Amino acid sequence: MALAKGAGYTILVTIASIGAGLAIGLLMAVLSRLQWKPVALFLAVYLYVFRSVPVLVLLFIVFFGLPGIGIRIPPFTSMVLSLGLVSGAYLAEIFRGAMSAVDQDEILAAEAMGMNRIQSFLYIILPQMFRMSIPGMINEFTSVLKYTPFAYTVGIPEIMKEAMSLAAVTLRGVEIYLAVGIIYFVIYKLFVMFFMVLEKKFRIPGLAAG
Amino acid sequence: MALLEVKNLVKKFDDKDILKGISLELHEGQSKVVMGGSGCGKSTLLRCLNLLIQPTSGEIIFKGENITRPGVDVRKLRQDIGFVFQHFALYRHLTVQDNITLGLRKLKKMPAKAAVEKALYELERVDMVEHRNKYPAQLSGGQKQRVAIVRALAMDPAVIFLDEPTSALDPQMTREVVTVINKLYLDNITMLCVTHDAFLAKYISDSIVFMDEGAVAAEDIAERLFYDHPDPRVRQFFLSVIDHR
Repeated sequence: MALAKGAGYTILVTIASIGAGLAIGLLMAVLSRLQWKPVALFLAVYLYVFRSVPVLVLLFIVFFGLPGIGIRIPPFTSMVLSLGLVSGAYLAEIFRGAMSAVDQDEILAAEAMGMNRIQSFLYIILPQMFRMSIPGMINEFTSVLKYTPFAYTVGIPEIMKEAMSLAAVTLRGVEIYLAVGIIYFVIYKLFVMFFMVLEKKFRIPGLAAG
Repeated sequence: MALLEVKNLVKKFDDKDILKGISLELHEGQSKVVMGGSGCGKSTLLRCLNLLIQPTSGEIIFKGENITRPGVDVRKLRQDIGFVFQHFALYRHLTVQDNITLGLRKLKKMPAKAAVEKALYELERVDMVEHRNKYPAQLSGGQKQRVAIVRALAMDPAVIFLDEPTSALDPQMTREVVTVINKLYLDNITMLCVTHDAFLAKYISDSIVFMDEGAVAAEDIAERLFYDHPDPRVRQFFLSVIDHR
């Protein structure tokens, strides 16, 4: 029962972090199209920093470090923010790659038809970008899932935290951690199946993904 | 009054003159073809005319308005000029029908049902209705270009620009596309077409403009330009392109 409750938190943290990562990644990918030097510099620093700093270090900075300068962030928000920032950096790169794969002639055709930059982004680039990003996104989302055990370090009662408490009380670590592994596998499998269905639904002949 | 009047149009890229003072006129219902060797500036001319490329100097008068002046609503202007690309440029994530209705719905603000009806009517004209739910990757080159032509036509533009519409096609597909463009020609659709293809030029033009090194070297009807022109450059060019067919 405790593990099932923990699994619920794990799924919640994963989904919230994926949401944050998607929002940040998409924003960064859109900003990268502005081709404005200060923005490009900001993006380069963001991508460099958040892809190189480990999630756990970032989480400790946010949860244990920021209160030192008077900023207190609740555990769940700290976790989602940290994981979202890291995931956003990777997703931004996936989106940028997919955007560069959109045929320039199609963008020119949209312009020649009378679309402005926002319209051509919304109707031509974005739909193709999402479809071509799906394999990369699945990869990134499974990474997010596997980072969620760090949530126990800030007191979120996800599976690992519940498992550790249970193991301490029952002294049956092997069975409990094996069960945790199986639960992670099931969650992973469900996520992948969900995205595979999504990928199949949005698959378009001739529009290569990845 | 001409629908489109070009006066002394110049385009420079890095101090290199690509267009050296082009002047030409296109009247409503008229179809003109621009021919010339590779790099003579034909495609640049076409892209300058709907301001996809900003000309360096000169005037473009479209429907009585000088569109090279600042303050012109470029997007509105482009909705009135259909553009067909050499490599089709169909939106790969949209079906044939959606490729056609996108501009109608999003730019012309046409209700979805009316846009679909319009798309089906235009597809019927080029014998492509049964392909309406296919994606571009499921079509042959000739079919893609027919859809691209319909996409431009559906917006009811005042003129259609065609940039090398048969260059990416094999002879059989070229024939398909020439038949379609010839139909438009017979329907008096105003067209300006850039091509290397003498076969296409002959069947879709009221007159042919021959460009050489960024300037108009000659303009005449196909027969005179192809077989009986006093300028040796013109004779030489057409001899070579006609021999290749």
